[in-house]
This record gives sequence, C-alpha cells and structure tokens, in this order.
Amino acid sequence: MLRNAAKRVLIPRLSSSATPTALARSYHERVVDHYNNPRNVGSFDKNDPNVGTGLVGAPACGDVMKLQIRVDEESGKIVDACFKTFGCGSAIASSSVATEWVKGKEMEEVLSIKNTEIAKHLSLPPVKLHCSMLAEDAIKAAVKDYEAKRAKQNGSNEAPVDKAVAN
Amino acid sequence: MLSKLQPQLLWRFSSYIFRRRPSCLESNGVAFAFFRLLLAPPDPRGSLGVSFGIDTSPRRFSTGPVNVQGPTAVDNCSLLQEGEFHRLADNTIHDLQERLEEYGDDIEIDGFDIDYGNDVLTLKLGDLGTYVVNKQTPNRQIWLSSPVSGPSRFDWDWESKRWVYRRTGANLLELLESEIQSLCRQPIQLS
Repeated sequence: MLRNAAKRVLIPRLSSSATPTALARSYHERVVDHYNNPRNVGSFDKNDPNVGTGLVGAPACGDVMKLQIRVDEESGKIVDACFKTFGCGSAIASSSVATEWVKGKEMEEVLSIKNTEIAKHLSLPPVKLHCSMLAEDAIKAAVKDYEAKRAKQNGSNEAPVDKAVAN
Repeated sequence: MLSKLQPQLLWRFSSYIFRRRPSCLESNGVAFAFFRLLLAPPDPRGSLGVSFGIDTSPRRFSTGPVNVQGPTAVDNCSLLQEGEFHRLADNTIHDLQERLEEYGDDIEIDGFDIDYGNDVLTLKLGDLGTYVVNKQTPNRQIWLSSPVSGPSRFDWDWESKRWVYRRTGANLLELLESEIQSLCRQPIQLS
C-alpha cells in the first residue's frame, strides 16, 4: 500500500486529454502601467497644517490606502498629492489614479470624483470595484482631515497646547 | 529556584513551538513577536527592559470612522460574533443561489450562469453584466458588486433582520430584486 502511494506521488500523472484552457483574465494595461510606473508614491509630513491625510481600509481585509493632499491655503486648491497603498494591483492603480486626478483641483470638486469613474478608467472587473470605492473614500477622508485641521487651527488661535503623545 | 527557571523554560518552549509551527508567526507575527519579548529571560544588559502589550485585535487604520461608511463609527466585531456572522451570511448567500438558479431556469438570458465557490457567488447575465456577492468576514459584511449600482457593503441589522447598506439604507435582497428585474424584464422574489 505504501509502495502504491509512493508511486502516485513520485511518478507524475500524465494529464488526460487537453482540457480547454480557461479564458486568461489579465489586468487591463492601465492597471499594469500604474502598477509598474506608479505616480505620486510617497508621503508628506502629516503634521503640516496644509496636508490632509486620508487613511482607509484594514489589513485584515487586504487593502489599506493612505492618500495625502497638500492644499494651497489661499486658493484652496490641491497642489500636490501622494499615496501609499497596501493591497492588490487594482487597489494600487485606483489610488494612483486618484492622486493624479485630485491634483490642481478645488477641494469641493474632488469630492465629486466617483468610484465608477475610476473603475471605468481602469476597466476594473466586477470583483475589483471595491478597490475604486476605497480610493474614493480615501479622497474624501483626506479632504475631511484637512478641513478638520483647519477648523481646529482657526478655533484655537491662542498659544498652541502641547499635544499629548498618544502612542 | 523554580521562579528563576520559569522564564528560561517558557522562552525555550516558545522557541520550540515556533520551530514546529512556523505558521504561528505568519498568522499574527506581531503579536507573537511581542509575546516572545515578554517571555524573554531577564537580560543583565537591560536591553530588553521594555514592555509591550499583546495586540490580538484585528488591526484597523483610520483617520476617521472605521470604513468611512457614514456619520457613525461602528465596531462591527463587537456587534456580530464570527460564528454568528458566518451562519447568517451563508444562509443568505445559499438562499440567493437557490432562488437565482430557479430564476435562471425560468427566464432565457444568453450567457446566464451562476457559480458558487470559495464563499463567492458570481451571477453572470451575459451582456447585461456580472454580479459578485461575497463575505467580508473581518468587517462582518456582505459585499456586493453590481453592474448597475457598483460596489456596496451590507451590514447585518438586528432590528429588521436584514442586510443593510448604511450609506444609502438599501436592503441587499430588495436591491437585487429591483436591479435584476429591470435588467432581465422579469420580476424575481428574493426576500
């Protein structure tokens, strides 16, 4: 019995008649391009008052995106953006596209960027649409964070209070 | 004497475990690394004089509410235990699968196909698009990808005993019913 088992393991089985090859699903060339040549990877100083940081996702889910925007105080326009993403190729491409699209736009304008537009641009398959939604959420979170910072700054114009180290 | 030996024994025991079961490290490397540091025998040089906590909670990062689903932050783990979540989600998805299969027998759509594997339900409606329904266990959610409404994430609502998308208030089964009906021109009963 042991010999039979060993034979089965050691002697490779010849595959039976050629099985029809499944249609190979591949990433769209834009996704591959963003993956190979990611735009705007990096990070800004999150304590900079002109920087808004959006951090969304959870490692357990397989996707974490950090998207940062640098806003020009006077014009209210986003002058620079960068991202760091932990996740699949579609998630990386979605956040890379998001940083490209927010540059040079007003903050209200970027809130209207929809995940459907990102997904269409990258031709994401159905199962990866969630990545584009996460990118949209990251943009919104970054804008929200910047606005919260501004509100806090405007609210406390007196001498800055020492921040307690949280971690 | 035993109290002096104990740290040594525990340290060696943990080394034994990690050699035997390296998967321990992979599953939650951070927690185990901390655990080992906690167990380390007293170092006369004092280099291990730091204390760490054991972090066993699922790590989440967010500058705002978890999942950014709406104005309220919801800790999904505390609302639904994993076993309970699997039971509810599996029931919902299996029910869906059965009803969609019956529906598929009744209507004639080119390229109609239902596939269920690895807890993912894929419904192909030919040129009309593809639906994907899957469980997202860490968030205790059911995720839907629709050719009509895009991605949505449904949480279990105990009060109404349904899966609800917090951002829009949509109900999973009702959403599918209305979308499939408008796509295939024939009503379907899912709830």
